Amino acid sequence: MKTKQDFPSINERAPDGKKEDGTPFRVLIVDDSMFVAKQIGQILTSEGYDVVASAADGEQGVEKYKELYPNIDLVTMDITMPKMDGITALEHIMNFDKNARVVMISALGKQDLVKKSLLLGARNYIVKPLDRKKVLERISQVLEK
Amino acid sequence: MRVEYINPFVEAAFNVLKEVLNADVRRGELYLKSTTMPVLGVAALVGLAGDVEGRVLFDMSKDTALAVASAMNGEQLPSLDELGKATITELANMITAQAVTKLHDLGFKFDLTPPALFTGENMEISDHEVEALIVPMEVPQGKIEINVAIRERA
Repeated sequence: MKTKQDFPSINERAPDGKKEDGTPFRVLIVDDSMFVAKQIGQILTSEGYDVVASAADGEQGVEKYKELYPNIDLVTMDITMPKMDGITALEHIMNFDKNARVVMISALGKQDLVKKSLLLGARNYIVKPLDRKKVLERISQVLEK
Repeated sequence: MRVEYINPFVEAAFNVLKEVLNADVRRGELYLKSTTMPVLGVAALVGLAGDVEGRVLFDMSKDTALAVASAMNGEQLPSLDELGKATITELANMITAQAVTKLHDLGFKFDLTPPALFTGENMEISDHEVEALIVPMEVPQGKIEINVAIRERA
């Protein structure tokens, strides 16, 4: 079966996850919940983002960021994690790279921590439960700036 | 136990389950359980400590847990593996967080422990100090009992 000719493209919109030059945005996911990490990964991958690494606690997240830098465009950061929480990890990342783009992932009821992280340099936040539209909107806002 | 403590959990469970399962959720009749009670097979437990203290237990059968975790992941999980357990834990997290936000707004201040997940046959929970109120939730995957035992700190 001839594929490309048989099926015309009906989706002319470029996926959110691609830069203007067509290469994908590179994302690091920091979350101690395997479920949440997988969920974010699926949502982002489906829009063309490249999930280059993930980390299960803040300490690992900071290490991975330093390893990947400068080939990293965005970090999603959970707040409550073992070893090192997301706020402390955010501080370390911002000290290392003041232009880092970090989006906080928060459960409801952590407004104070979300405010604190925005003051520390986080670009945006997403409240769980995560839905596809919300995640993609918030993340593409951050990458446009 | 005061009803103010219960309603936020009922509302939060209803909202979160509806959203993550994308399905109809029905609330069953509340009932009280005291002293020793059996657990259905998979139980996520979150502790509360502060102005009020106690715990909230999300209790369901293994089949229900597997079906709920599969629905939340958008794929049939082969068993209640690591991902399945992480999914149920996260469900407990989301419901508790939403309920606690409401309780904080009502002026109750306390902290939560991270959820712990218990799985096994023929488990019982014994709690002689606090009576528990059970809120059964019916979802297409089965029944989830939300078991709330909270009291004001003496």
